[in-house]
Amino acid sequence: MTHQTHAYHMVNPSPWPLTGAFSALLLTSGLVMWFHYNSFTILYIGLLTNMLTMYQWWRDIVREGTYQGHHTPIVQKGLRYGMILFIVSEIFFFAGFFWAFYHSSLVPTHDLGGCWPPTGITPLNPLEVPLLNTSVLLASGVSITWAHHSLMEGKRNSMNQALLITIILGVYFTALQTSEYLETSFSISDGIYGSTFFMATGFHGLHVIIGTSFLTVCLLRQFKFHFTSKHHFGFEAAAWYWHFVDVVWLFLYVSIYWWGS
Amino acid sequence: MYYKFSGFTQKLAGAWASEAYSPQGLKPVVSTEAPPIIFATPTKLTSSVTAYDYAGKNKVPELQKFFQKADGVPIHLKRGLPDQMLYRTTMALTVGGTIYCLIALYMASQPKNK
Repeated sequence: MTHQTHAYHMVNPSPWPLTGAFSALLLTSGLVMWFHYNSFTILYIGLLTNMLTMYQWWRDIVREGTYQGHHTPIVQKGLRYGMILFIVSEIFFFAGFFWAFYHSSLVPTHDLGGCWPPTGITPLNPLEVPLLNTSVLLASGVSITWAHHSLMEGKRNSMNQALLITIILGVYFTALQTSEYLETSFSISDGIYGSTFFMATGFHGLHVIIGTSFLTVCLLRQFKFHFTSKHHFGFEAAAWYWHFVDVVWLFLYVSIYWWGS
Repeated sequence: MYYKFSGFTQKLAGAWASEAYSPQGLKPVVSTEAPPIIFATPTKLTSSVTAYDYAGKNKVPELQKFFQKADGVPIHLKRGLPDQMLYRTTMALTVGGTIYCLIALYMASQPKNK
């Protein structure tokens, strides 16, 4: 008898955790080689092996869930816990950058002029592009909720449109933020203001790109009929991540762009 | 005590008695009443419109049969040749890259000759 008598998922042996771990070694060492010896080779190999690992690992998860049916309710519960814990870890990651910002801006040092923004820094006007960015992300939160409800109600066309709109808004945010970066009168090396600004908003922008990619994968899977009205955890995970990205932006906007100007 | 099913935790959660007036799971998906016809062309319900074929037909059932073949092949190689090639490329780059990296790190750790 080779059939299992439980509802858990015993995964096939997989090489991707190994290649993923080594790609992390190559990425970190590659950064060192780039910073100190002006060499890009190891970094490129690291990026390539990292992309290959992610593509194949997640492709396998789709095969195991959608094609082989291994994602029973109890397995899905584990996946939910996993995604939630991952998002919590990302919250802590951003908490560090917010701590640095508030530490520096609540008690500005003498060499900044004892004020925030520091002397000589002209911050961006929070009521211009940053406010537009806020409305773009809030609207994308609405459209992704529309997409989810359409999916649950079996409305295929609505779901496709709403998810596409969400992705377009995500790309629009990235484009706007890029143009803002080119417009700032200050750079990352302009004291603690520049450092806190670009580290916090920079990592947020990276997360927007990650979230947009995740949503795009969901769109492609939706085109291929992978999601059913009752079972679509991949999409829910992407939606949770997207809402997290949106909330981080709201904190960024209120703290750095608005209060900090 | 009234309960509702929480879609977030996938468990039962407490609810107020008022929830009983809008029970979960009984929401009509499509309106059973046809909207009033204003023009001569008949109104269409979503259920009666076939999905456009721009995305191709649903291949999931045949893919399910394909990936569930009991041939003992692990999931990352189940598709055969394309999977093998991608796996070998990834492994070669990983192993080769790691060796190159370890050599570079060894050299970088040597003291500079004065």
